Amino acid sequence: MQLKSRHYEATDMAAAMELCFAKGWTDGLPVVPPTEERIRAMLAAAGLESDQQVAFIENRQVSVTAEKIAINAVLAGCKPEYMPVIVAALEALADPLYGYHGPATSTGGSAVFMVVNGPIARELDINCGDNLFGPGWRANASIGRAVRLIMRNTIGTLPGVLDRSSLGHGGKYTFCIAENEAESPWPPLHTERGFRREQNAVTIMAALAPHQYSNGLSSTPEGILTTACACMRICAGTGRHPQYALVFAGEHMAILAKAGWTRDDVRRYCFEHTTISHAELKRINLMDGPVGPGDETAMQTLVETPQDLLVIAAGGRAGVQSAFIPGWGSKSGSQSVTREIRRA
Amino acid sequence: MTVQIFDPTVEAKGRHIAYAPRPKSLAGLRVGLVDNSKHNSDQLLVRIAALLERDYGAKTHIMRRKHSAGAAPSPQIIEDLKAGSDVIVAGVGD
Repeated sequence: MQLKSRHYEATDMAAAMELCFAKGWTDGLPVVPPTEERIRAMLAAAGLESDQQVAFIENRQVSVTAEKIAINAVLAGCKPEYMPVIVAALEALADPLYGYHGPATSTGGSAVFMVVNGPIARELDINCGDNLFGPGWRANASIGRAVRLIMRNTIGTLPGVLDRSSLGHGGKYTFCIAENEAESPWPPLHTERGFRREQNAVTIMAALAPHQYSNGLSSTPEGILTTACACMRICAGTGRHPQYALVFAGEHMAILAKAGWTRDDVRRYCFEHTTISHAELKRINLMDGPVGPGDETAMQTLVETPQDLLVIAAGGRAGVQSAFIPGWGSKSGSQSVTREIRRA
Repeated sequence: MTVQIFDPTVEAKGRHIAYAPRPKSLAGLRVGLVDNSKHNSDQLLVRIAALLERDYGAKTHIMRRKHSAGAAPSPQIIEDLKAGSDVIVAGVGD
């Protein structure tokens, strides 16, 4: 099938890269010129026809075809075998529960946090260990980048136009990890979101930047989570009821495993220990009005339910660091979504 | 040898939007207010309605609150506003 996108000529590869800059197709970093051969390799890896619609973004009235996804995947530097992950992420982005327009456009400045589960994560070498949110892995770097480039180029989410982030954060370049299923104390994340262990799936969440906390003193779950909850109690999401991702790295993960804490145990503890009084919310100007009678004992939870805490095992083996990631806005505006990754 | 590269953007397709006819006057009309759920949005809209009633003769107003600023009004809100108002004030912003 003929590719339908407009095409342009450049004298050589270097000129083609510059042309991509000139056309406004990049995130500020150099891209791989999307030639027909590279685009077709992407489509073949996903088993998709070029004109097949993968997602329809209701708020923007934009149809995202396989061809546009493939072009952006080439630009981002993806290998063809990454395509099915990107396709699944786009299907998730179009889910009304994710509510594309809000998190993509808002001054709140969220990124698309992606967690890949299943055998494909190992096969594609999606990092789940050291330097989890940092650079160094092609799959992590380019899969998340491809999703952002599709948002920019195809869905029109341009900074300063339909992306009005006041600040944004580094995750808007890429924010893709795998879960460390091999060493996790818990079943894989996707198995509690409707999928089997052997299936491949990606979970997306509209997310602010990861907040790291350290605790090298405690050897109990309660000790570590006390630190986590103290840091979470007052942060970007306070008072708004978004979802949160809780990412536990090596040593903290081992302590939780040794104590036999389940995901539900972690969620329950964190739900109960992140409540905050109306009085405190008023004192820090996150709730309107003066502190009144009863405000010291009237409590508000961080999230609506314990299930709104996504507990994830990932990060380096060494170190006493873990992280929490506040979701964007409120759960009523955007929720995490999981989609199966289907290979050709 | 030249390099041919393909465009990752989509071209906007033209679409006809049928705007509701504008009333010549607001006198005697009912005003619908779409609260986008942002902080103080309800207060701002009520002030706007008061000005429309005081200075332009609008008769009454009703307000409905969206569940999220980033989402379209629910079908129920749209039905309520269609049934209870002649003109609508809606907007996006912080």
